[in-house]
Amino acid sequence: MKRCDGVHRREFLRVGGIPLLGLSLGSVLSGPTWAGNLANRRRITARNCILIWLDGGPSHMDTFDLKPDAPSEVRGELRPIATNVDGMQISQHFEQLAKTADKICVIRSLTSELGVHGLGSQYVLTGHKPSPVLQYPSFGSVAARCSDQPSLLPPYITVGEQQLQAGSSLGSGYLPDTYSPFAIEADPSRPEFRVRDLDMRRGMTLESLQRRREFLNALDQLSDQVEKSAIQDGVDAAANQDAFGRAYRLILSEQAKQAFDLTAEPGALRDRYGKIYNRRSRVGQSCLLARRLIEAGCRFVTVTDSGWDMHGGIYQALQRKLPALDQAISALIGDLDQRGLLSETLVLVLGEFGRTPRLNAAAGRDHWPRAFSAMMAGGPVKTGQVIGTTDPRGYQPVDRPVSPTDLARTVYEMLGIDPDRKFLTDGGRPVMVSPGGQTIDECLA
Amino acid sequence: MKSSIEVCRQYAVRPVTAIRHVAVAALIWMLGWGGSWAAASDGLSIPEFKNDVVPVLTKSGCNSAACHGAAIGRGGLRLSLLGYDPEHDYQQLVNQFKGRRVNVADPEKSLMLLKPSRQIRHGGGRRLAIDQPGYEIVRQWIAAGADMAARRNVVDLIVAPAEITLESLDEQFQISIAAKYDDGSTRDVTRWTVFEPSDRAAVRCDSGGKVTVLRRGQSSLMVRFLGFVDCVTVTVPLTDQPPATASRPASNYIDEHINRVLDRLRLDHSPKSNDATFVRRIYLDLIGTLPTPAETKKFLHDSSPDKRDELVERLMQRSEFVDHWSYKWSDLLRIESRRLGETGASAFHQWLRQQIADNRPLDEFANELLSARGDAHATGAANFHRVPMDARQQAEYVSQVFLGIRLQCANCHNHPLDRWSQDDYHGLAAVFARIDRGQVVKIDERGEVIHPTTGKAAKPRIPGEIFLDQSDNPRQKLAEWMTDETNPFFARNLVNRVWREMMGRGLVEPVDDHRPTNPPTHPALLAALHKDFIENQFNLRQLIQTIVQSEAYQRSGLASGNNHNDQTFYARSISRRLSPPVMVDAVSAVTGIAEQFAGLDATRAISLGDSQIRSLPLDLLGRCRRDSSCTPNQGTSGDGLPLTLHIINGSWINDKLDDPNGRLRQLLNGNDDQTVIEQFYWLAYCRPPSPAERDYWVQQLASDGDATKRATLFADFVWAILNSTEFRAIH
Repeated sequence: MKRCDGVHRREFLRVGGIPLLGLSLGSVLSGPTWAGNLANRRRITARNCILIWLDGGPSHMDTFDLKPDAPSEVRGELRPIATNVDGMQISQHFEQLAKTADKICVIRSLTSELGVHGLGSQYVLTGHKPSPVLQYPSFGSVAARCSDQPSLLPPYITVGEQQLQAGSSLGSGYLPDTYSPFAIEADPSRPEFRVRDLDMRRGMTLESLQRRREFLNALDQLSDQVEKSAIQDGVDAAANQDAFGRAYRLILSEQAKQAFDLTAEPGALRDRYGKIYNRRSRVGQSCLLARRLIEAGCRFVTVTDSGWDMHGGIYQALQRKLPALDQAISALIGDLDQRGLLSETLVLVLGEFGRTPRLNAAAGRDHWPRAFSAMMAGGPVKTGQVIGTTDPRGYQPVDRPVSPTDLARTVYEMLGIDPDRKFLTDGGRPVMVSPGGQTIDECLA
Repeated sequence: MKSSIEVCRQYAVRPVTAIRHVAVAALIWMLGWGGSWAAASDGLSIPEFKNDVVPVLTKSGCNSAACHGAAIGRGGLRLSLLGYDPEHDYQQLVNQFKGRRVNVADPEKSLMLLKPSRQIRHGGGRRLAIDQPGYEIVRQWIAAGADMAARRNVVDLIVAPAEITLESLDEQFQISIAAKYDDGSTRDVTRWTVFEPSDRAAVRCDSGGKVTVLRRGQSSLMVRFLGFVDCVTVTVPLTDQPPATASRPASNYIDEHINRVLDRLRLDHSPKSNDATFVRRIYLDLIGTLPTPAETKKFLHDSSPDKRDELVERLMQRSEFVDHWSYKWSDLLRIESRRLGETGASAFHQWLRQQIADNRPLDEFANELLSARGDAHATGAANFHRVPMDARQQAEYVSQVFLGIRLQCANCHNHPLDRWSQDDYHGLAAVFARIDRGQVVKIDERGEVIHPTTGKAAKPRIPGEIFLDQSDNPRQKLAEWMTDETNPFFARNLVNRVWREMMGRGLVEPVDDHRPTNPPTHPALLAALHKDFIENQFNLRQLIQTIVQSEAYQRSGLASGNNHNDQTFYARSISRRLSPPVMVDAVSAVTGIAEQFAGLDATRAISLGDSQIRSLPLDLLGRCRRDSSCTPNQGTSGDGLPLTLHIINGSWINDKLDDPNGRLRQLLNGNDDQTVIEQFYWLAYCRPPSPAERDYWVQQLASDGDATKRATLFADFVWAILNSTEFRAIH
């Protein structure tokens, strides 16, 4: 199996796997853009991506696409407010974001046909319509696959609860498990937050730790009982070695481990990412963690914020969710900008679909894939604009419809990944990263 | 309106015989009316709505889920999805909209023709061109009075070829479809049949049924005409070279089917596994337990020619067989205490264990679950009704577990890839609408499921079949239908699930997604297993026995000839990862230190009945949480960094290695290095080390009389064994 840069995966294991201490953090952090030779398709590309996934499907009608002139059962309780961009209006709960609207781009004309959580998530997170014969990789897994420099941190990390509507859509699909995300399920807003098993066990010596790795290698090499030529088996010696290689690199680097330590951030900055009822919000602290991870060399962080599947009592729920999201995103954009990371980090905020324009009997909104919104910032995004329009009641786009496939193509182009590039599946079948679709050109600076 | 015959037909499997497709095609040509398009234009008869017009609508995409076949229709016109309900469609087209859709006096002015031919604005673009046969059929039908009369009904489709092997990718071939009618007539309907490749990258098919194969291997094409769905299997051998292994051994009918496909693909098969590999594999597969060194050695020294069969018999009597298979069923049935409470979960698990121990026929097993009532703390099976939160969830749960189908899509609209309608979904939910899911499960007097389209109470319904009466115990009717020998789903789903457990891959994948558009890799084999299973009264142990006796199961996993890439056709055994509980138990068995589960006496993970029982290793290994259905290898953390980090730095394995009562400490006492090394090979791998392995480890683990160093070296060695690929695999 070839990597993006043409290095065979097994060669990589030999190159990158054995010399445990041979990598310095510096060489990793200051490397060239990760997309390598693919980057020249577009001059400006983002090196990193932070995806804020609003699991369950946020209401477009109450976030980025309000309809104040619609009848009350459609417009709901929230009102739009003006932003620092002429003519751009967003939800009244997005007070902070309204002040930095010049740094965001809103797409209002996303549209899909898939209104079930699992299928919708797969479609939006992979750009492929779900198929019975193939599970497609998420953006993050493709980005990990294309990350051509070894990083001490896993290239793809997810921060959020495990039980998600999105389920396996955040995974590596037909790509090897190696490109699955490193999932941090602990809540970063809790004082006791830490990533489990990162520190060496008491009583364990470095010598013993290294020897175990060598012994493991030797056992796999000496055994002739498990087929080695076939990398697609459920049990794969190369993948096993690879998994331990990654774990060892992480454990042996103090600097890399620091990236997970939120206590290293000043309290004032932590607060800026948002408080709800005087407690730091989970989504806010997750965004802060995402920034630290990106800073330390991770390429793709997905922050999942669950609880957006609001079939009933939507306004009580939004009263908590929207301000938290507002503070988190605006702080993230500001923080990245201040550190000079915004220009090389794409920030993407969306969920699997929108919600029914008409409120239901339980004062909620149900699934509505025909129209939904996304927000982008950073990287090569042309900001301070709104793309697309929906009809006066938010049922479907009337202008510039954008399919998840179009969005995927655009995201890949922004990240310098050729959407037409092919990867091999288990069965040796070449599959394009994101075939079809049109790049949303007006998105790009 | 579908008869049960139609349902069976959809899933029935065409016998795999060496049909000379050319001859059959010629026969159809002679029997039929010869034209590649049909009925009307040859002047022989007037087109009929059901038999001629509906196929035109389907073929032209009019009634697809994206257009007028959507639950809410499009542009004011709502047709049944893929024409499954012609009477409804007739009403819509002829009587609704003030009759403007058809104009009998001036057929060309019918909206039904003006719109799709785009003479006036049509959101769906041009679907019927004026000079094309489809337009002409609709026009003639209208001109003749646009009636609903049908002189005949389709009873079968004849697909030729049903399967075909091409020599190379350059070859093309033509599919012919003939419809057989109840009056004995036959007609070529190729022109009006919809063709859908299961994988568009592998096969391309034009609208007239001409097929081009793009990739070597086996692929399939679904064909659909009216309510009938069938499949064409296309093979292009993986290589031009004849296989090196000319003759293929066969133990039972399974091998005949498997071998036929291997022959077609020119795929070599691997030889039979050796005894050491077999004994480890069969123990892990049947009882989720590693054989002890004594058990392994006894089997290796046994000279009986039937020793493999005898071992299988013995293992199926072991109590661990009950543990292991109850665990699998618990995953499927979602036994967990958050929903059921600890007492309920425990009662359900106890009931389940009893069924497995008694080898209860699975039809009776399902029947008892569906009709269970009473106090769920005392009557284990009653918990079945408490797993889902409401009737709709129960419809999804039952159809997924027992029928192997995903009905969820049909909640909001008719299923886009299958034949399930909203009536089916809400009708099945209505069957469960009156169940009181409290601790005492009982049937209420009231309770409805509201059909979202009509806004009224949905009528209970057996999916795809008939409506039931709410007052006439619809649950019992459902159970009878489901477990009837002619039911096309139930037994097929169960044999496919068991097959996957034993062979590493379902004949249909995913196992809960049986539908005509997702055909099995070996249709004839699945049909044969299905038939055999029914003939043996739904006997789980017998099914397992038949599978493990096959050469296909007993093959080596090592590549042979050209089969190293095979993961689909059973040319070699598919290595599988030890499941989370089996892995936990295997680590305990090798280290000699049992895993502790808080507050429980149980020391075997496979004996746990509730997925809420806390266990960090099980979580990190990616056990099924049982809050929704689990398909293996879907988690994000199953093989992830968190597990690897825990293995390196965490307590699970390290504590066991450090334990003074552990096997390592004991063996180091009074045994020389080589003995200890060999013993761990037997424990973990069920084989002695090869001379190269033995020599390597004797040298690596030499400690020059330093006891502390020796303990450390050996701990590192055992740690490495537990994480080696061979140990973590059923191979």
